[in-house]
Amino acid sequence: MKREVVEKSALGVLAILTGTGVLLLLLILGSVIWKGGPALSWEFLFEASSDFGNAGGIYYQTVGTLLLMLGAALISMPIALGTALYLTEYTQSETVKKVLRNLIYSLNAMPTILFGLVGYLFFGVFLNTGVSWLTGMLILAVMILPTLQVSIQEAIEGIPEKYRETGMSLGLDHLAQVRSVIIPHSWHGMITGVLLGLARAAGETAAIMFTATTFSGILLPQSWADPVPTLQTHILVLAQDAVNSAALTKAWGAALILLFIVFILISFSFLLRGRLKMEAEL
Amino acid sequence: MAALSVVCAGTIFLYLLRESAPVFFAEGSGFLTRSDWWVGESYGAGSMIFGSFMVTGIALIIILPFALGGAVFTSEFLSPRWRLVIKSVMELLAGVPGIVYGLLGMSMLAVWVKSGFGLIDGNTIFTAGLLLGIMILPTIITLSEDALRSVPGEYRETALALGLTRIEMVWSTVIPQAVPGIIGAIFLGMGRAMGETIAVMLVIGGLDKIPAPWFDVFQAGQSIPSKLGREAAEAIGSGLHWNALMGLGLTLFLVVMTLSMAGNMFLKRVRM
Amino acid sequence: MYICKYSKKWVCLLVLTLVFMTRDFSLLWAGERETLRIVGSTTVLPIASRAAEQFKALKGGTFRITVNAGGSGVGVNSVAGRRADIGMISRELSDGERRRFRDSHLTLHQVARDGVVCAVSSEVYEGGVRALTKQQISDIYRGRLTNWQEVGGPDRRIVVVDKERHRGTRHVFMKYILGNATARAPAARLVTGSNNEEQAKIAQSDGAIGMLSVAWLNEDVKGTGIREGDRVIEPTREHIVSGDFPMARSLVFLTAGEPKGLAREFIAFVLGPKGRRIIENSGYTPMPATTTAQVTTP
Repeated sequence: MKREVVEKSALGVLAILTGTGVLLLLLILGSVIWKGGPALSWEFLFEASSDFGNAGGIYYQTVGTLLLMLGAALISMPIALGTALYLTEYTQSETVKKVLRNLIYSLNAMPTILFGLVGYLFFGVFLNTGVSWLTGMLILAVMILPTLQVSIQEAIEGIPEKYRETGMSLGLDHLAQVRSVIIPHSWHGMITGVLLGLARAAGETAAIMFTATTFSGILLPQSWADPVPTLQTHILVLAQDAVNSAALTKAWGAALILLFIVFILISFSFLLRGRLKMEAEL
Repeated sequence: MAALSVVCAGTIFLYLLRESAPVFFAEGSGFLTRSDWWVGESYGAGSMIFGSFMVTGIALIIILPFALGGAVFTSEFLSPRWRLVIKSVMELLAGVPGIVYGLLGMSMLAVWVKSGFGLIDGNTIFTAGLLLGIMILPTIITLSEDALRSVPGEYRETALALGLTRIEMVWSTVIPQAVPGIIGAIFLGMGRAMGETIAVMLVIGGLDKIPAPWFDVFQAGQSIPSKLGREAAEAIGSGLHWNALMGLGLTLFLVVMTLSMAGNMFLKRVRM
Repeated sequence: MYICKYSKKWVCLLVLTLVFMTRDFSLLWAGERETLRIVGSTTVLPIASRAAEQFKALKGGTFRITVNAGGSGVGVNSVAGRRADIGMISRELSDGERRRFRDSHLTLHQVARDGVVCAVSSEVYEGGVRALTKQQISDIYRGRLTNWQEVGGPDRRIVVVDKERHRGTRHVFMKYILGNATARAPAARLVTGSNNEEQAKIAQSDGAIGMLSVAWLNEDVKGTGIREGDRVIEPTREHIVSGDFPMARSLVFLTAGEPKGLAREFIAFVLGPKGRRIIENSGYTPMPATTTAQVTTP
């Protein structure tokens, strides 16, 4: 009897603990919607901001964030693909693979402020790209590289041996094999990785706050040397310097948009991975 | 091309080393132990290091029951469909941008802490720790759950066949097997907590002092990334101040690298 | 394989979005449009921001002006490091800065006068604390006085709000109160950054003391007068202009060497009649009308 009581109560406790975790997500989402909802309007989304963000909208901030994200993904993808292919197809040694994998995971866990600092030194100063959206894209590209790479690598490793054997039996050499067997079948992994990488880049503030952004004065970058306004830094400045509650509501509105972008990306990656599982089970 | 990742990590390390060298010459090992940071006079990183560890510690203490409880429940007692739901929820939580957490922390959490504990101000080490705990929950839950799931089914079946209740089975057979993986998850969570900049910066209070007494977490404090975030723009490029900030960065880099590599090693043992 | 079709559509969407967004800028001729970069003190920021808007509207043209905060220290550093064209500062250059940036030939242009006030939460002000002596403020920041009762106020702990070390407002405040622009404040309970943050913290508390520019006072944040002997010097415009108020300061635009082109025009605009109106509307005091661009090279 007692053991059953213990079992039931333990399960109850665990359920509550788990439920709290789920509740957190709902709370966060709810709060952002509740606080930021009032700020949302057609004008808000498509107007420029003015008067220190007290008035106007966040159009150019959104564009800035999207530019940095997409640029980072475009730069990072070929590199991630190359690295993943190299690791799976061309390296034989298990130790090298393990070491590299550990390094990549650790790079993933690196504090992003360090990416910002060293990125500024390397790209901004050494390569003289200054404080600009180019620097921002480069730094973010390096930052999301592990995310993309791991995803691609898992996709490549998930390709059933059958396909490779078929390829080899047809007489394909390594390069052709890569082209016609591996890449088509790991495309979904690339997309998943890109989506997750984009989500990560969208959420990043520390790496870009003093390397790529400006709060006012620039709408769209007109040369590679321009900084850009972004949602993340806009929220940061408003959060610290809001003179009145109207500005703070706009900060919440911007946060809602940012959250929305991130959640859409992650949700898409779920759908894709769902299909991936089905494909792999065929 | 694979060398690129090695190059990246190496570059970061070397740059940090090179840029921070002067401050180590100026302050010696006192840089790490003394807690007096006053630009122009002395650079002791003690308060920041203390703050970083304190905040991470609080985060872990607060969130571990939820994270581990959640992991055990999800992996052992939920159907595959519900498991997928939990995983998805956690992944969404993990994707929430740091600045959004910061905004939530500033406008809501800090206010609750202030009125709930009757403080002068809600920006304290405790608030930062609590916020960080929420931020690392998804990481620890997901990885711990992976660790638990990879324990082979035979163990569970044998235990049940012997007449143990499910809870007893989990407690005595599954969990002990998954301990290395869980430790790995915790290390990785710690690494993430130590590296978070924006959210902590907005709620920790920015005071470069070790609280007196040291365990009074309801005072303002400072963590390494938060300090970097606040002062980097001022000192960027040159000068002893910059070197000192780089020294902070180097310390952070080494600590997080160690935690991550150790964490990954523990997890690897499970990820066979 | 329908994943391929699905992702192709997605890629097309991406490309279309990019094309849609590029309609406004021509990457093809990645020419450098002229940009005037202004960085620094949050005290001077409102002036620069509003002036930038009006200046651009007046002049037309394709140039841009970026105005960013960061604090006086960031302003100095950015101009010296060529990351900004004009730095906004609300204090004097420190000796350390003069030494470090000797080769940058930093040139100061005074644009307005302002006062730093010892600000308290409105509850403290209403509770009887209307003026403090220098010694009292100094003791508070050093931790020797801890309750408002000790200076004639309500029975409440004093919440000492400090500012980041490099901020102009802090330099001016500390120079007067503690005798040293970069003095430490052992009793500091909170550290804030911009004027806005400081104002917010003092307003949120019911027993706080802090340092703020006169232009930032409001119903929740009141400025105390300085008591010297028998008389009390209120932080009013007359006292700031006459120099009676001990913590008066100049708001300055900083350039590396002589300003040229856009920078020069902008500074002239701020010193002109339109600029003076902006300065007054922002709560500061413009320089006397006879001032032309005052240039002082340290």
